[in-house]
Amino acid sequence: MSNAKQSSGPPAIVGIIVGAVLMFGGFWFSKNVKLEFIKTLEAQGIPLDPGKTISIIGVLLILFPVIKFFFIAPLAEAIQNRTTELERTFGEAENLRAEMTQMKQDYERRLVQTEADAREQIQGQIKEAQSLRQQMMAEAGVKAEELKASAAREIEAQKQQAIAELRHYVVELALQATEKLVEANVDEERNRKLVADFLETVEAPR
Amino acid sequence: MGDWITQSSQLIASVEEPHGAESHGGDHGDGHAWVSWEGLLVYVAIVVGTLFVLMAQAKKGLNNRFFTNKLTQLFEQVYLFIENMCVGTIGAHGRRYVPMIMTMWMLVFSGNLLALFFPTSPTADLSFNLGLALVSVAYVQYEGIRANGLFGHLGHFAGPKLGGFLALLISPIIFVIEIVSELMKNVSLSLRLFGNIDGGHRAAEAMNTLGAGIYVPFGAFLLPIKLLTVVVQAMIFCLLTAVYLSLVTHHDDDHGHGHEAEAGHAEVAPAH
Repeated sequence: MSNAKQSSGPPAIVGIIVGAVLMFGGFWFSKNVKLEFIKTLEAQGIPLDPGKTISIIGVLLILFPVIKFFFIAPLAEAIQNRTTELERTFGEAENLRAEMTQMKQDYERRLVQTEADAREQIQGQIKEAQSLRQQMMAEAGVKAEELKASAAREIEAQKQQAIAELRHYVVELALQATEKLVEANVDEERNRKLVADFLETVEAPR
Repeated sequence: MGDWITQSSQLIASVEEPHGAESHGGDHGDGHAWVSWEGLLVYVAIVVGTLFVLMAQAKKGLNNRFFTNKLTQLFEQVYLFIENMCVGTIGAHGRRYVPMIMTMWMLVFSGNLLALFFPTSPTADLSFNLGLALVSVAYVQYEGIRANGLFGHLGHFAGPKLGGFLALLISPIIFVIEIVSELMKNVSLSLRLFGNIDGGHRAAEAMNTLGAGIYVPFGAFLLPIKLLTVVVQAMIFCLLTAVYLSLVTHHDDDHGHGHEAEAGHAEVAPAH
């Protein structure tokens, strides 16, 4: 596009001067020179006036540089500038895009790293919790066993005590009952032995 | 002021009314009016004046960002169209010819467009078209000499390089044929444009005469096809100039393009 501004012909001023000369020369030619072959052509329906042609060549030689410098060169320059501006904007956009892509990659990499760290921490916590749980369960089991053993011991003690008390009470009842029934001179020691032997026989199947 | 208006009216009238043969314009016995010298001047002034008014308006909308002015956008499209045509036909170095070809396109297009609204137009005048063609072909020769040097350019006319006796026998014949061919380009360019635009007028006049009895302007029905002619002829004139430029300025690295251009020429030429 910038080539449109380059000179592709003779200097403009030469063209304009030659054009002006041809323009007026053509007019003079048209009014003063009569060529026979032109009349022949005209008679054949081909209306040609060399004077007009020369003048038009002159007009064109003037118009080409004038229109070029008046309008086409500024238009080409504006289009060129706009294209440059667009290319610059696109270049900037491209750079920003590349930067953004880089940032996105960094972010994704960091996100992945963060996720991995988080996963690792969670796994660690889970393992720790599991270990703690097992430890607590073990402790609780031991404690429960202890409590259970203690309870069993107490139950056993209570049971033995209750049995002893019951035995004593039964003995007392039996003695009282025997004393009332027999009311005889039975030796107390001997009676007690008899009752105890009896009770031994009663407890044996237990 | 009054005299100036009267003279202007007479100039316009001289276009529409037949003249005597001595004025190099007028009726040639078939009722068709040729444009006189003064009339041509008026028409060219209208074309150039209109172009400059439009360009001045379009120039106001130029900036380095987006063109918001519709007229500027229109001229931008024309510029890009011509640029694409030049680059496509001539090659990358074709951009340097854009100002010349765009000016030519605007002149021919405006001249053709004028033919839709006036009884005749600059491009309906063979002398005007011959002037355009001569400038076009002369510019092509100038560029050919600039690109290849005088002898290199003349060497193109001698055809392929032959050796010995063949060079003496064949090359002069080819040279003469090529020179005639170059001269005929002027005739071809000018007559084609003249024939199409003047022919459109004649056809419209004939059809209007046909419908005169019943007051129907049959010639108006030709307007769409004339509009098409306006665009196509302007494009062909510029395309052919670009093709001629391509033929004389193509370089070794542009050979592919040059052949394409020749092919394009071969396609265009028979159609018109």
